[in-house]
Amino acid sequence: MGGKVSCTLGEVKNRADLIVYWGGNPAECHPRHFTKYSLMPKGRFVPNGRKDRTMILVDIRETASAKAADIFLQVRPAKDFEMITVLRALIKEQPVDTKLVAETGLTLEELTDFAQRLKKAKFGVFFFGMGLSMTRGKHMNSAALLTLAAELNAFTKFVAMPMRGHGNVTGGDVIMRWTTGYPFGVNLARGYPRFNPGEYSTIDLLIRGDTDAVLVLGADPGATMPQPAIDHMVRVPTIVLDPKVTHTSKIARVHITTAVTGISAPGTAYRMDEIPLPLKPPLKSPYPTDEEVIRRIYQAVAKKPPLMPPVRPKVPRV
Amino acid sequence: MLRITGGKVYDPANGVNGVIRDVCIQDGRIVADVEAGRTINATGMVVFPGGVDVHTHVAGAALNFARAMIPEDHLHSEPFVRTAIRRGGISGATPTTYVTGYLYGGLGYTTVNEAAVPILSARHTHEELRDTPIVDKSTCVLMANNEILLDQLEAGETERARHFLAWCVGAAKAYGVKAVNPGGVTAWKWGKDANTLYELVPGYNKITPAGIIQSLARIVDDLGLPHPLHLHCNNLGVPGNYATTLETLKLVESNRAHIAHIQYHAYGGNDWTTMRSESTRIADYFNAHPNLTADAGAVLFGNTVTITADGPWQHLLYKLTGRKWGNIDVENETGCGVVPYVYKEKNLVNAIQWAVGLEMLLLISDPWRMSLTTDHPNGAAFWRYPEIIELLMNADFRREQIKKLPPKVLERIILPELTREYTLYEIAIITSAGPARSLGLRQKGHLGIGADADVAVFNDIKEARKMFAYPRYVIKGGEVVIEEGEVRKTVEGHSLLTQPFHDPKIADFIRPLFQQYYTMSFDNYPVEMERLEHPDVQPCTQANS
Repeated sequence: MGGKVSCTLGEVKNRADLIVYWGGNPAECHPRHFTKYSLMPKGRFVPNGRKDRTMILVDIRETASAKAADIFLQVRPAKDFEMITVLRALIKEQPVDTKLVAETGLTLEELTDFAQRLKKAKFGVFFFGMGLSMTRGKHMNSAALLTLAAELNAFTKFVAMPMRGHGNVTGGDVIMRWTTGYPFGVNLARGYPRFNPGEYSTIDLLIRGDTDAVLVLGADPGATMPQPAIDHMVRVPTIVLDPKVTHTSKIARVHITTAVTGISAPGTAYRMDEIPLPLKPPLKSPYPTDEEVIRRIYQAVAKKPPLMPPVRPKVPRV
Repeated sequence: MLRITGGKVYDPANGVNGVIRDVCIQDGRIVADVEAGRTINATGMVVFPGGVDVHTHVAGAALNFARAMIPEDHLHSEPFVRTAIRRGGISGATPTTYVTGYLYGGLGYTTVNEAAVPILSARHTHEELRDTPIVDKSTCVLMANNEILLDQLEAGETERARHFLAWCVGAAKAYGVKAVNPGGVTAWKWGKDANTLYELVPGYNKITPAGIIQSLARIVDDLGLPHPLHLHCNNLGVPGNYATTLETLKLVESNRAHIAHIQYHAYGGNDWTTMRSESTRIADYFNAHPNLTADAGAVLFGNTVTITADGPWQHLLYKLTGRKWGNIDVENETGCGVVPYVYKEKNLVNAIQWAVGLEMLLLISDPWRMSLTTDHPNGAAFWRYPEIIELLMNADFRREQIKKLPPKVLERIILPELTREYTLYEIAIITSAGPARSLGLRQKGHLGIGADADVAVFNDIKEARKMFAYPRYVIKGGEVVIEEGEVRKTVEGHSLLTQPFHDPKIADFIRPLFQQYYTMSFDNYPVEMERLEHPDVQPCTQANS
């Protein structure tokens, strides 16, 4: 188990005849997703657009996205993992425990029909949201769904993709990977990257009080993080770089207003399928870009004596 | 200004074979003489032109995907601690970008060719290459499963196909053209593969893998690109695939072609239990056809991760290993698969693969046409090249290693019969002069006057493994970057690219198709020249045809 069987969004546009959204509400959270990439566009191999596609929504309640769905499957809260496990058995025609099926809140007929549709699709895709990845079971839920997608490739073509959000979070993830080898939760304190989510991820570091300063870039943790983490940001020098004054700015020691990337500052944003898009600003800003502020901070810090010796101490040759 | 004095110089491109002479450097170039400046005393050392890797995967969406997939391997890989000169990072099968530069530099390599770039994510590849110091970089763009190109070939519009391909190379800011499993990746978009060269590609009525290969090889030659078609043949890794490989080589008889990781394409037998080496047949054909160059794609035992645009093969490998599987299909262009893999000495198939890699290197008689690669990270990580050099230079050492293999392997390989030992002169060819010539880089891979001042100085000792793993000095563009096993200076590399001629009107043809099939705006598609680090446009031989 592990890995990710995925594709770029154009593949979905051109080929997907079965689209499953799982634990997400794209109609309200990713409003252009239906029209640009998944449901509506007329693709190379789905020339009639919406008419050639089937959309299934799996969620714990009937959200606005359910209106766009051909089939809505209401799973009982926190039972996604069980439902996926049943589906993994059904696609391989294995017997399933009826008690386990009952726990999901869906009938065996509904699940069997779902499994059949998954296998019969020419090109199927799972788009999964935080309703799957951030509820009970967390990354195990995502792993189960990714495995289901991988296993479906024994019967047909199937892919899965997380519905990333929050601006350029994918870009941050991509760059962390090429500079440190890991996507997030990286500790550089020893001079080389170490990875341990739960230990080195932001909230955990803040709650334990492990940091003596905080630099916040394009995020508003003061509005979203747990109170003990916010308390620590109040205690230590916190610097915020943001085009507007945020909740975090109000508890920060320093707020630096920067230009808005994409509107008045150039850059690159990575789409949820990790395709980089250049940002071409139409306006000019009186404020510096994030990059310029960071560079100036870096230059000022570089004037201080180095933390590490210029070269490693000589090891005597044998 | 710099003078390297007293070293034994190996400069095969200029016929210099172990002659003690000075190498002088000024303004980043090799010159006849210098009057002042630093002198490096290289007495008791050998002087090589900087290494050139003709086929490696060091940057881009696929490799970066692999990095995320193997954190458990990173934990055991060598950490690179930050210093005032050097950035922190990790080594392993997929080193971080900065460490990639330090490691290549640390082997005496100064130029690398990233062999697989989709146009759609070329911007990402160039951003990573920008963060890869010391080495000069070129890229090959994936074209053999590009649906717009295949449509043109289907319609018989070869002229337009040529202009389109030239436009794509320019848009991706690439150097050459790569073909991966022609037709097979297109089929993979429907969960299928192309197993024979003459079957129709799914979704098309006229074109076959054979047709795609011939058309691309011809177009690349017509455009006068310095590097021939970079070809990853169909049926990679499959027992019995040597027949497909021979058939493919015959298809490109009247053109140039570079056969990538030839080791993976030289297997006999019918299935995994009957698999055997067929390196002799491939090498015999290859030796008789000077239009071909190749790289080894040799395998070393150990932990690694396989990355290729060959999506269907990776699905097969996933089914074989039952481990992790990553897949990214790129709209209209190509696919990509990532599967972590362990090559085991005691595994019959792996042992054969190990032997075939060395057999290909030993059987291909002209070192100028055979480059040393491991198809990094597929066969092994590039920083293990010195182990392969030892195996090539020392037949006794090779015999010792063969003894560790399962006995039943011996009847399926011919390696024990091969007694050839590479000389230092030949090593200089397969690691530098040869790949530079195959890439068509005239200023690389030699130490003649006017060449780029990329030089590696090694201790002249018997154990090649140690000698090539720890160069005494590495000079890149005239700057001493490695000294006494330490990174002393990090210079920025150049981006090598070509801009083959195309009819400017081709953009008007592509634009509506693009808006129909892609999800990105057409104007955002080509990579801007400003995003490249020190762009260095290399000439095509027929610039205005």
